[in-house]
Amino acid sequence: MKERLLLLWRNLTWTWAPDSNRQASEAVVKNFWLHWFPSRISLRGLGWGFSFWLGTISACLFVILALTGLLLLFVYIPSIRDAYWSMKDIDNVVVFGWLLRSQHRWAAQLMVAVVFFHLVRVFFTAAYRDQRVWNWYIGIALFVLTIFLSFSGYVLPWDQLAYWALTIATGIAAELPFFGEDIRFALLGGNILGQSSLIRFFVLHNFFLPALVVILFALHMWRIRKDGGLACMDRLIHETKSKKIPVSPTKTYSLLGVTEGTTIQAATTEILDESNSVRTSPNLTRRIALVLLVTTIATLVLALAFPVGLEEPANPAVTPIPAKAPWYFLWLQELTAITTIKIGGKSISGGLIGGIIIPGILGLLAVVWPFLDRSPKEAIGVWFHKTRNTQNIVFTIICLAVISLIIIGVYMRGPYWKFYWPWQSWPEMPTLF
Amino acid sequence: MSEKEDKVPRRFFLEVFGKVAVVVALFAEAFGALKAFIPQVLYEPPSKFKIGKPDDFPEGITFLPEHKLYIFRSGRGFHVVSAICTHLKCVTDWNSSQREFYCSCHGSVFSENGANAEGPAPRPLSWHPLSFAPDGNFVVDTGKKVERYYKFTI
Repeated sequence: MKERLLLLWRNLTWTWAPDSNRQASEAVVKNFWLHWFPSRISLRGLGWGFSFWLGTISACLFVILALTGLLLLFVYIPSIRDAYWSMKDIDNVVVFGWLLRSQHRWAAQLMVAVVFFHLVRVFFTAAYRDQRVWNWYIGIALFVLTIFLSFSGYVLPWDQLAYWALTIATGIAAELPFFGEDIRFALLGGNILGQSSLIRFFVLHNFFLPALVVILFALHMWRIRKDGGLACMDRLIHETKSKKIPVSPTKTYSLLGVTEGTTIQAATTEILDESNSVRTSPNLTRRIALVLLVTTIATLVLALAFPVGLEEPANPAVTPIPAKAPWYFLWLQELTAITTIKIGGKSISGGLIGGIIIPGILGLLAVVWPFLDRSPKEAIGVWFHKTRNTQNIVFTIICLAVISLIIIGVYMRGPYWKFYWPWQSWPEMPTLF
Repeated sequence: MSEKEDKVPRRFFLEVFGKVAVVVALFAEAFGALKAFIPQVLYEPPSKFKIGKPDDFPEGITFLPEHKLYIFRSGRGFHVVSAICTHLKCVTDWNSSQREFYCSCHGSVFSENGANAEGPAPRPLSWHPLSFAPDGNFVVDTGKKVERYYKFTI
C-alpha cells in the first residue's frame, strides 16, 4: 500500500523533479498542461531582466480575474433594478465578498498597466520584427480586448460611474460618421441606457471578450514557439551560429519532415545546450508558479489595503461633478474635451477627433510600424539598440503624452473639467442626491 | 453536341454554383443572426409626453430631471431646451448667477439660449416644440427640433 501511494505520488509529481534529461523532456512533451512549452529554455529567456516577465504577469492576472470573476458571477444580478444592490450585498453581506470584488478590480487595473508595459518592452527590444509581426498584432488585439474587458466590467455595478461612463463611451461611438447612431443603438439595445444595455455588456464581459482573450492567448503562446522563443533567442542564434557546425540542409526538426530546410524552431533547438539553457521542468515551471504566487499576493495586498468603493446608484437625471472615467481612460476623456475644432462655421466634435480619430491613428501606427522600422537584424532582442534611438524617442514621446494626459485627468481636472493644480482646492459643488 | 464536350461546363457550373450558394447561405445566416442585436420593440418612455399645465411652471427656468429638459417661461411665452450636452450626452446644469449651462463631464458652456459658448460641445442645445393636449397639459416632442427663438405663446 505504501509503495502504491509512493508510486501515485511519483506519477503526479514526476514532472517536478525529473531524474534525467530524457525524463525532463518527456515531462514536458507528454504532459498536456506543459506541452506548449519547449523542453529546454534558454537562460536568457528565463532571466528576470530581459522580459521582466510582463507577459506571464498579465496571464497570471487573467487567471486571477477569471477565478474571482467566476465567483462574483454567482452573487451578482444583471438587472438594472438589482445590480447595484447585489453589489452592495457583495460588499457588505457576502462573506469575503468585498475582498473578492476588490481583488477583481485591482487585478483588472493592474492588467491594463502590465499589458501596456509588456507592449513597451516588446517595442524597446524590437521584438515585433520579421516573423514576430503576427504576435505583435495578436498582442495589440489582446491589449484592446483588455481595455474593452475593463470597460465592460465597470459598467456592471450600475452605479453613477457605470452609467455616465457608458453614456460617454456610447456618445463617442455615436460620433462615428454614417453608422455612429446605429452602432450606439445596437450597443445599448435602444436609444437610452437600460436593461438591454446592461445585459449586453454583461454577456460581453463574462463570455464574449474572455473567450476571445483565451483563443488569442493560445495563439500568442503558439506563435512564441513558432517564432523561436523570446526575441533574445535571435541574439543567441546570431552569436552562436558562427561557432556551431551548420545544420544539415536536408534535415528538418519540425512538421515531421513535411517541409524542406530548417525552421527557426530547429535553429533554436540546435543551439541550446548545457551551457546556455536549462530544463523547462522544473526551472521554467517553478518560476511561473513563483510569478503567479507573487501576482496573487500583490492583488490580495492591494485589495486588503485599498478596498474598492461604489458610487451612488445610477441616476439618469444627475451627472456627477466632475464625472471622471477610471484613470486608464482619462487620457481619452481629456482628448475628447480638448480637441473640438471649428472650421469655418462648422464644429467637429472632440468626441470624433479625440475619441475615434486619434486612437485610430495610434492603432494604425502600431500596425504599420513593423514595416516602417528600418533598423538592422542585430537590434532584435536588445534593449535600446543604438540603431533604434530615433524610433525609440518617437515611441517614448507618444507614451509620455498619453501618461501626461492621464496625470492631468486624474490630478488636475476639477468640477466642470476646469483646470486645477493638485494643491488647489475645488470649489464646493451642490449635490442633488 | 457530343457527350464529352457537354460534361465539363456542367461540372464547372455546378461547382461554382455550389460554392456561391454556400457563401450566400453563410452570409444570410450571419445577417439573420446579427439582426438579433437590433431591438424591434423598445420598452422606453415615449419621445412625446405631457409635462404639466402652464400654471405648473413659474416665471424663469424649471428643470425636469426625469425628462432632462429645461422649461423657460417669460410671461405667456414658453419654450423647451434639452439639458443633454451635444458633446457626449451628459446632463448640463443651469447656473443661475452666470445665466449659463455648464456640462459637468467635459466643461462645455452654453448660453441661456442654448448656443455653445465654450468647451468641446460642437452644436447648440436642442430646442423642442411644445403643443397643447386636449386636457390642457403641455406636450413636448423630443423627437423633433425647432429653430432657436421659437416661442409657444398661450
